[in-house]
Amino acid sequence: MALELFGVPVKKRAMIWIAGAIVVVNGFFPAVWILLTSLKTETELLRVPITYLPDAATLENYATAFTAQPILRFMWNSFVVATLSTALCVFVGALAAYALTRLRLPHRNLIMSVLLAVAMFPLITLMVPLFKLMREAGLLNTYLALILPYAVLSLPVCTLVMAAFFQDIPPDLEAAAMVDGCSRVGALFKVVIPLSAPGVFTAAILAFVNAWDEFLLALTMMNRVNMRTLSVGITLYQGEFAFPWPLISAALIVAIVPICILIAIFQERVVGGLTAGGVKG
Amino acid sequence: MNTTATNPSANKDLSERALGALLLAPAALLLAVIVVYPIATLFWTSLTSVDPNNPQAGAAFVGFDNYLRAFDDDRFWHSTWNTILYIVVTVPGALIVGLGLALLANQPFRVKWPVRLGLLLPWALPLVFAGLIFRWFFEYNTGVVNNWLVAAGIEPMQWLSTPTLAHWAISLTIIWKASSFMALMLLAGLQTIPKSLYEAAEVDGASKWQQFREITLPMLRPAIFVALIFRTITAVQTFDIPYAMTGGGPGDSTETLAMYIHKTTLDFLDFGYGSALAALMFVISMVATAGYLRYTRRSTSRSGED
Repeated sequence: MALELFGVPVKKRAMIWIAGAIVVVNGFFPAVWILLTSLKTETELLRVPITYLPDAATLENYATAFTAQPILRFMWNSFVVATLSTALCVFVGALAAYALTRLRLPHRNLIMSVLLAVAMFPLITLMVPLFKLMREAGLLNTYLALILPYAVLSLPVCTLVMAAFFQDIPPDLEAAAMVDGCSRVGALFKVVIPLSAPGVFTAAILAFVNAWDEFLLALTMMNRVNMRTLSVGITLYQGEFAFPWPLISAALIVAIVPICILIAIFQERVVGGLTAGGVKG
Repeated sequence: MNTTATNPSANKDLSERALGALLLAPAALLLAVIVVYPIATLFWTSLTSVDPNNPQAGAAFVGFDNYLRAFDDDRFWHSTWNTILYIVVTVPGALIVGLGLALLANQPFRVKWPVRLGLLLPWALPLVFAGLIFRWFFEYNTGVVNNWLVAAGIEPMQWLSTPTLAHWAISLTIIWKASSFMALMLLAGLQTIPKSLYEAAEVDGASKWQQFREITLPMLRPAIFVALIFRTITAVQTFDIPYAMTGGGPGDSTETLAMYIHKTTLDFLDFGYGSALAALMFVISMVATAGYLRYTRRSTSRSGED
């Protein structure tokens, strides 16, 4: 009889541990590496052979990260753009998802496919005309120049995720609300959306992360330093010739902490939302 | 829905259609302003050009000149070739690594969150951050990769200033970044495969490899397909990671089509030519997607015959 631990043979348990360790190390090593580097001094960085753990940990790089560039301003910009585009995307997506799942409309599938196909148009090809459009509208260096495209960027996934949840709500509940004097739209906001809260919430997180991470449009639409978002702002820390790696690492850590907290708290929702489209295929 | 015969349904259908149109209107409006109108102007702009010697005259209609110019432009072909190279290397690369990660993550862990976060973190990390971090891994003097090479008794390499090596460094970074999302999608697919299939195979004496080939892969095919389409569409637009790692260098040896479009439009302010390049890129991504769709149609019709 093989040795057992928690009802599983020890050898098998060891294999499971190794499997988990590989996934964890693969996912975390870059973040751990910059965390360690952010605590090193510039002189320690240049030492050969390189050190792994910092000799004398210092928080100096973090202090510099906040003064060398307006990183709090970058973060605020990212926050405003991500929040407002998420709100817009979820609102517009919820209305569309409701119409496509709970109303008897002709050509529902066709409308859905067209919406998705249009919204999935490659962002890079849109960059050129969007830049022209925003410049003509005088919207360059305004939040709106990013909020509108970001809402479109996440519209397909948000609509799909919410549609999947809306579909599962019994029609009777909605009918009951309407008997109680609710209008159809009232029933959407008072019954369908509250009951699909997990779905709406998942959609919101995905939209938020997409907006927080986006780079190309942020680089294109905002050329004033104080309008830069975090993803672009971090690249401003690099010097002309040399890379101050400890400083960049500190800035990177500051920049990824909010998003790490978000995915750590809502990990199950995020995974569910990310894979909803793929599995239903 | 309520479809009782007592309801005069013609009227109700009409109001339902009106409501449907009303609810779809915001999405349609948003897409019209942000996608449809810009696409229309994209194609129009791609047929115009501004005379650099007389910019005051504005854009003049030049027909397909910009497209013809692209065919004679070595930098266009070169950046397109690079883009194709990244597609050809990173799509299968991310699939294999992603499948490996998904199989590893599909074990019966008692504590699930570390593994889940291990897959989510690379996904949530902005591409440009991944590029910056890996750029530094590949640095000549202080990079950890050369440090390992030296420890293993191999000469350190100029990763980011040799074109071929820079391609590999960039591809590796893209594969690392993309494989986690791939793994999440494949993991969801793996979890839909009924355990009973494996139990039955076990009874029949099938080896683990046979089980993988005969059960896992066929059952995973839809998830693999969706994951591949996603990855390919993203790979066509490769921008952030090479931008952060090499800026397209050395020279413009690692420049992608997306980077060339960006430069043409924003640095050279040549909107006509930039639009033509963007339109050509759209064609490339359509061809890639169409290829996949044709493949699935063929394979689904074949499995229909079985």
